[in-house]
This record gives sequence, C-alpha cells and structure tokens, in this order.
Amino acid sequence: MIIHTFKKETKELWRDGRVRIAFIIVLFLTAVAIFISTNHYKSVNEQYVEANANEREVWDNQGEKNPHSAAHYGTYAFKPKYPLSLIDQGVDKYTGTSIFLEAHRRNEAQFIAASDQTGLARFGDLTPDFILLFIIPLLLILVAYNSITKERERGTLRLLKSQGAIGWKIVFGKWLAIFSPVFIISFMLFLLAGLLLSNLPDFGVFSWSSLITLFATYMIYYAIFINLVLIISATVKKSGIALVLSLSVWILVCLVLPKMASNLAEYKYPYPTRQEFSANISKDKKLGLDGHNPWNKAAKELEKKTLKEYGVDSLSQLPFNYDGYRMQKGEEHEAEIYFKHYNYLKTQYSNQNGIYQKLAAISPYLPTRFLSMAIAKTDYNTHWDFSDAAENYRIESQKFLNDHFAKESKYGEWGFKADADFWRKLPKFNYEPPSLSKTIQTNMSGVFIMLIWFVGSFTVLFFTTKSL
Amino acid sequence: MVQIDNLTKTYGDLTALDALSLTVKKGEIYCLLGANGAGKTTTINLLLGFIKPTSGSAYINDVSVVEQPKLTKNHLAYIPENLMLYPSLTAVENLDYFSGIANKKFNKEELETFLVDAGLQTSAFHKSVSKYSKGMRQKVGIAIALAKDAKVLLLDEPTSGLDPKASNEFGQLLQKLRQKEVATLMATHDLFRAKEVATTIGVMKDGQLKQQWAVDELSLKELEDSYLETMSYNSL
Repeated sequence: MIIHTFKKETKELWRDGRVRIAFIIVLFLTAVAIFISTNHYKSVNEQYVEANANEREVWDNQGEKNPHSAAHYGTYAFKPKYPLSLIDQGVDKYTGTSIFLEAHRRNEAQFIAASDQTGLARFGDLTPDFILLFIIPLLLILVAYNSITKERERGTLRLLKSQGAIGWKIVFGKWLAIFSPVFIISFMLFLLAGLLLSNLPDFGVFSWSSLITLFATYMIYYAIFINLVLIISATVKKSGIALVLSLSVWILVCLVLPKMASNLAEYKYPYPTRQEFSANISKDKKLGLDGHNPWNKAAKELEKKTLKEYGVDSLSQLPFNYDGYRMQKGEEHEAEIYFKHYNYLKTQYSNQNGIYQKLAAISPYLPTRFLSMAIAKTDYNTHWDFSDAAENYRIESQKFLNDHFAKESKYGEWGFKADADFWRKLPKFNYEPPSLSKTIQTNMSGVFIMLIWFVGSFTVLFFTTKSL
Repeated sequence: MVQIDNLTKTYGDLTALDALSLTVKKGEIYCLLGANGAGKTTTINLLLGFIKPTSGSAYINDVSVVEQPKLTKNHLAYIPENLMLYPSLTAVENLDYFSGIANKKFNKEELETFLVDAGLQTSAFHKSVSKYSKGMRQKVGIAIALAKDAKVLLLDEPTSGLDPKASNEFGQLLQKLRQKEVATLMATHDLFRAKEVATTIGVMKDGQLKQQWAVDELSLKELEDSYLETMSYNSL
C-alpha cells in the first residue's frame, strides 16, 4: 500500500505543473547559487594561499633586526576557507579573515567581508544554505499542504477507506513521494559540491564524511518539515486553511523564532561594547607588568625577585639580557589579561548559545542551522577556535623572539640584531580546525534535539493519521 | 450478503437511524428510498464503518461491521453520489491504484478488461479522468468493484445527476453484477430507476424503515402511490 501510494503520488506530482515549475525554479536557483559560491570559494582560497605565502616571505626576509622590533612589526594569521563553506557560508562573512599578530596586543580578526559590501547586502546573498534552509522547506509546503485535505475535499478519502486503506500507510506513501524529489535535488547538489571540492586539492582538506553528515542533517530537517505539514493537512479540513497554517509554521520556525532567539540572547547575555572591552583590558594591563616600562611597580618587583633568584646584585650580572626577560614576562601578563577578557566574551557567547539551544525545542530550524554551520566549519565556535589558535601562536612567537633577545644579547643592548636567517626558524602558523567527531560532540545537544524532533514528529504524524 | 439488525444511530437527542433491520441476499438489489435526512446515507456510512452505531448490529458477508470493520472492507465496494477520482491519472491508473489499495494486483490488459466490463469506451481508458463525465466516472467506480470482486456493493445516490442514457447504462451494469450474485444496497431518490433495477424496495422516513416491497408485487403506479402515501402519512 505504501509503495503503491508512493507511485501514484509521484505520478500526480510529476503531472502537476505547479510542482514541476517549483522544482525547476529550485534547481535553477541551486545551480546559480553553486556557481556563485564556487567562484567565491575559489577566489577567496587563491587569495588565502597567495596572502599566506607573501606574508611569510616578508617575515622571512626582514634582514637583520632587533627581535622586539620584529615582534612589533608583526605578521598575519590567515583564516582558511573550508571546503564545505561552499554549501554553508555561516558567519564567515561577519567574522573577518585574518588576525594581525604583534607584541603586547591581541587583535581581533579584520577584513570582514560584510563591511566591504554596499547597503544592498542587507537583502542577503543567494547561497546554497539559503536555498537549503528557507526555499526548500517552502517548496515542501507548496507540494504537501493539501496532500490529505484534497483527498477529503474530493471525496477520494472515502473511496480509499472503503477499499480498506490504512491511514498511516497512505500517508507514509505520500510522505515518500514528497521526500523523494527533495532528496534527489539535494543529493544532486551535494554530489556536485562534493565532486567540485574533491577536485580542488590545493584548497583545504575536503572530507566526504563531513559532506555526508551535512547532507543527513538537511534530510532530517526536511523530514521534520514534511511531518509538520502533513500533520496540519491531516488535522484541518480545508486546503486553504492548511496552506495558511503551514506557511505560518514556516514563518515562525524559520524567521520569527531565530530572530526572537537572537534578541533574547543579546538581551539576557549582552556583549560589552567595544569601548568597554578595550577600557577594561587597558585598566587591567596598567595594574600589572609593562614589559616596556622598567620603572613601574610590577617591573620593580620582578627585578628584585629575579636578582634574588639568581643571587646577583645587578641586572648586568644575570646570565641573560634582563630587558628581553622582562619583555617576555610582560607579554605573559598581558596574554593572561587577554585570555581573561576573551573568556568572558566566550562565556557570554556560550550563554547565548544556551538560549538558542532551548528555543531549538520549538524550532527545528535552529539546531539545523547551528549543526550545518558547525559541520561546514563556518560557525562562531570554529572562529573562536581559530582566534585562540592565532593567539597561542602569537604568544609562542613572542616567547621565541623575546627568548632569543634575552639569550643572545646583554642587558641594555638595545642595538642587538638577530641574524637575517633567524626569522625562518619561527614555526609557521598551522591551524587545524576541530575534527568532525569533535564538532558533533560540541553540538551534541543540537543533534539530540533534532532527533527528538524527528522521532516526535513521526510519532505525532502516525497517531494523527492512524485513523484517517 | 448484508444483514442489518436493529441498527440505531443517535446524535444527542437526534435519532438518525431508528432500529433498522433489513437483509440483502446474494444477487439481490435493495433500493432504499426516502427524502433527504431519512437515514439512507447514515445506513451506508454505518455499513462502511465510517461511523459507529449507537446500538444494533450489521454484517457484511457474516463479518460484523462493528467488531471487524477493516475485515468487512475486503467484501464490499462503494460508489458515492459523486465519484471523484484522481484527475491527473487515467482510468487505468485510477483503477490500478484503487485495486492496489485493496491488495489486488492486475496487469494492464486485466485492468482494461474490467473497464470494458464496466462499459467505459476504450478510447477513454488512457485519458486523464479530469475530463470525464459523471457517468464515465461511475463506470470506473463499477470497474473498481469488479476488480475487487466485491460481494457487496453499497451505492449512495449513484444515478443522481446522470442523464437518462447514462442512468439506464448504469442500471444495466447493476443487473450484470446481480448475475454475479453481488448483493447491492442502493440509496436513491429515483423511484423509477429503483423500480427498474431493484428486487426489493424499502422506504425510509425519520430514520425508520416504513415500508418494504418486493418489486414484483407492485406496478410502478402502485409503487408510486404507496411511496407517496408513506411519505405523507406521518406528516399529517
């Protein structure tokens, strides 16, 4: 009965011009979105590879220079563009692409793509994730809203029942017929993306397992949507009402609740303003050791402690250049301050995320959105991870430079210059994003909520249609 | 066969069907006559298991409609007043689908044979049913019953709205089914068609079976007079 209904529904859907046109539009939009995204992805990665190479070349060829001058001269950590960002660009556009690494300061990522766009960018971009998250569910509504109401309105439901039809089997046949075209379209999109990405060896590490996980996430999302629309269609008597209710659910789930979640999260756990954030860091910095100022209180204390520790009377008797040593201690103190304040931001982010997770219980869009970005490595967690990795690299680089300065020169020897080939010894910044399994672990609550939605909506659909 | 014993259906204070008892044997065509609201459609709906009776019992081929409604579906076919099919499918496709729902599997030739037996013109077999007349759709309904090999046929005003030719053709199809020992219960307003096809005629009013005649017992004129008399009796 299920397969029989599936075949009949597929025939009906295929012959229905309305559905054919809708699918052609989605295919067209998807093709355009993939084309735009592929070009964007290629161009960004070419820039990334070029910028990385150029920046390292500049660093390696500084010539003879004081290590602390080199520390102030700084370098860049570039954020790679990940292969699956082709499908879901996530928050990449708003987080910046590179971080300037210099002495004494933790900088935020800069060159934010969104800031380079005109006001028209407010209309949003045509990206595959937009089609996957918003347009396809809308298409599902158009296809499925009258699936059961039309049987009632036409009177075919009575005829089916008189033939001994079992409600849930008929509905499951319909379910398969609605799901199949969406599955095929999405499968084609993901396969195309996979083939494109796996043939771009220079650009990041592409993993089929991540792509398949992303695909599975969207399939679960669509299954939930189909269930919701069919539950409505089975519950109400008129197709018009079913359409209005289904569209209301789409508006609520995809537009209203995510925006509500965002407002609520910002209201309950606000981020400090940029001015407050900078002022608090400056205040804390002043209270501690300044590597450049040998006369401040903390510097004097360090001096006493160091002399005592090495059992000498003056700084020039120390077996290293105390200026480099103090510089490094100041760097460590500042790094702690930055970690403290950035951790506060992370805690706020985590609290905000908690609100999203709670609201995910009433909107399957939210866990899908977050999982999709996480798997594509375009979410805030990955950005934080990159930002922390860049900061760790900055701290290690500063230690590398300060240690060299301290070991290879004498106290007061500010004219010391490192050899021209010294800079090449600094390890390259190599960022490894979180693995797929780590990403899934981090987003386990989202996975769990999606599964509850999946099983719950199927259960409700089964009981709603059991005795049609 | 159809066996109904004291079947009653009430909605609050309203009695839609009041202790109805009747039997339709194999090869019989029982026509239920009566005005709107007399209880004819309620009787059909109860036999189809679409609604549950308040009391009484009904059997389709000795299977209880109340206790085993799903099982009774194996034995019956139903044609409503306005049989609607899937408009984008052809007659063959519609027949294939409805037969499949009843767990009957046929090849294309067999399906076409059922449609031929139901009197549908061959040229219409593979055309979308969206342009079918009501009479053509009713013939597909008969084909569905034939394909199901139903022993009981429930008809709810099947000739209403049909032109005389189509109505006559439909009557002939019922006679064919009668020869195959199908027990037919038909709710209708059409006294003349009932006289033509039925073996037994019952007149319902206010949910009760007021009169019942074997068709051979009365002429059309006598039937008409008796019917009118029954319908007006309680109104006086």
